[in-house]
Amino acid sequence: MDLKQLTIEQVQEILLKEKYVCDRSLATVVYLSLVMGKPLLLEGEAGVGKTEIAKVLAKVLDAKLIRLQCYEGLDANTALYEWNYPKQMLRIKLEEVEHGDKAKVETEIFSQDYLIKRPLLEAIQTDGANPPVLLIDEIDRADMEFEAFLLEVLSDFQITIPELGTVSARHRPYVFLTSNRTREIHDALKRRCLYHWIEYPTFEKEYEIITTKFPEVEAKMAQQICAFMQKVREMNFYKRPGVAETLDWASALIALNRKNLDDKSVVETMGCVFKYREDLHHLREQVESRQLNLDTLLRVSPELVS
Amino acid sequence: MDVTPETVASAVSSVASSRGRGTLPNLMAFARALKQLGIKVSLSQVLDVSRSVDFVDIGARPDFRALLRANLISQKEDFPVFDMAFDCFWREQTYERMPMETLEIQGTPTESDAPEGGDEEGGLEEAASEAMANENLQLENLDEFAVPTYSPQELMNRKDFSEMGVEESRAIARAIMLIATKIATQISRRKKVGRKGSTVDPRWTMRRSMKYGGEVIELVRRKKRIKKTKVVLLCDVSGSMDCYSRFLIQFMYGLQNELWGVETFVFSTSLSRITHLIRTKDIVNALDKISGSILGWSGGTNIGRSLHTFNRNFAPSIVTHRTVVVIISDGWDRGDVSLLEREMQDLKRRAKKIIWLNPLLASENYEPLCKGMQAALPYLDLFLSVHNVNSLVSLGRTLQKMVA
Repeated sequence: MDLKQLTIEQVQEILLKEKYVCDRSLATVVYLSLVMGKPLLLEGEAGVGKTEIAKVLAKVLDAKLIRLQCYEGLDANTALYEWNYPKQMLRIKLEEVEHGDKAKVETEIFSQDYLIKRPLLEAIQTDGANPPVLLIDEIDRADMEFEAFLLEVLSDFQITIPELGTVSARHRPYVFLTSNRTREIHDALKRRCLYHWIEYPTFEKEYEIITTKFPEVEAKMAQQICAFMQKVREMNFYKRPGVAETLDWASALIALNRKNLDDKSVVETMGCVFKYREDLHHLREQVESRQLNLDTLLRVSPELVS
Repeated sequence: MDVTPETVASAVSSVASSRGRGTLPNLMAFARALKQLGIKVSLSQVLDVSRSVDFVDIGARPDFRALLRANLISQKEDFPVFDMAFDCFWREQTYERMPMETLEIQGTPTESDAPEGGDEEGGLEEAASEAMANENLQLENLDEFAVPTYSPQELMNRKDFSEMGVEESRAIARAIMLIATKIATQISRRKKVGRKGSTVDPRWTMRRSMKYGGEVIELVRRKKRIKKTKVVLLCDVSGSMDCYSRFLIQFMYGLQNELWGVETFVFSTSLSRITHLIRTKDIVNALDKISGSILGWSGGTNIGRSLHTFNRNFAPSIVTHRTVVVIISDGWDRGDVSLLEREMQDLKRRAKKIIWLNPLLASENYEPLCKGMQAALPYLDLFLSVHNVNSLVSLGRTLQKMVA
């Protein structure tokens, strides 16, 4: 795909083709990130489609998706590269038996063949026509040290391996970072990225998402699902459900051949939406005490302008 | 910093002189206006914007807004301020340079419910006067809730450190330092090379073996590193805690300056974050700043609501599984007890430990009978007294055991 010809509308369109519904502001930011070659930091509650957009983009750009899942204690060895120690060890032993040249072995065991590429190095070294999509997922889970290290990689797109020299990117990868905001990301890293906060979808957008993903769904039920999700997100639950939960729930209801939502089926299938015992309990209480009246909620669900 | 349409307008007008005809001068002026409103903007970000304006049609206002926002703003909390500033700044500009029809924008709702910079002509004055009316309304409401008004000067006198003896003050400082180092030393999952480590480091073992012709003779080991725990302080500054507040301030101040990564909040009927106010070595100034900015000091208490605010707005980004939350309060709560309980439960799930320090616990006939304290008790890892230096020392010892 030629990026120079790309427009915001096209971004929205190609994403929709892969069943990713996004609003204009998100499309603008994604477009900018592609044309400017600047990393994009996506923040938002869990399950609003932060990771998904990188996956979908890799697909539509026909690019390789390289994913780095962050966790506490993630270090440069796991993110960049590591020498293949067992292989090096074997090679040395082999040379010993054969009385090989010591100096030669020393240079050989520190060559590309003995290098294990981890995601960041892979993203920089990828061959092929298209630059890869590098997804650095849940950056907030990694610690500050790793962030600082990432800063260096993201600003130059080159990595120095003492034994081999500097490797720089042939194509600048498209970089997407996601964060659930369990802690703040450092300013310096933020400054190097474009920033977008993905909100919970509006009723209309969520409806569009459900009907795009599941064309077979009954319109009435899709509306009811959306109305319900909109309502519970306003309530005081420990973990508010995201779009991922909505889709899980919708597919569960479809699998159960439901055409309509009622009290009973809501309570039965609530495990798709709430994943904490307290939340399930809270919901049941609310339904039983008629605080959350499903009948009225489902009846007054806003009609869509078709 | 509270941002109202008024402050936005004044920030925008103060940079008016540096605005020019081209894009870059205007962008620079806009960035400066944002800076005045307390948003951090770096020059590289501004340059990136000017680079990216080629890519979108800046006549399309929503796109232009998205472009500026993605480049200049890096946290969601700044969105409302940005939107106000954007509407205020680029509106005038649009009249000069852009066709009228691009003016139709969808107002983004601001969190504070403050009236927006206005979409129509003359909106500024309207917004300003509306904001004034709003402010008056808020003041009236405050009167209704009988939050005592105060003069900052008076407050300073009452909570002055000089009343505390030098010896006592020093002792407290020492005790705080002890506590701080106890909290600050926790084992990390990251490892460093060390002689007594438990796991072998293959990278370095390999390296060292080179000099013996590849024969592994020395094993290089790694050991666990010490990592810092984060501490969040939630201090009750309501009327019933008044006699302890001098001590409280010193405690908050001391801890924050000894430890890296301390966040400090005070609450009475509502919650305010004061971390930035006491991040200074100058304690007198810090005091000045705190008393100048906290409304409701010595007022009533609503622990439940304050905790709710904390859990909703701050906890997700501040409290992790290695955060120790320290609540300092007497537990006299005038709010909804069930809310307090629910919020304590929430907090418990997020935090590593919750410690409640209660100054009243020391008095012999005190039992945690008040409902608020009762509701919170099951969720506490530690329930301790703080009323004098000795209690601080024992707190330090307990923390040491807990962290080890």
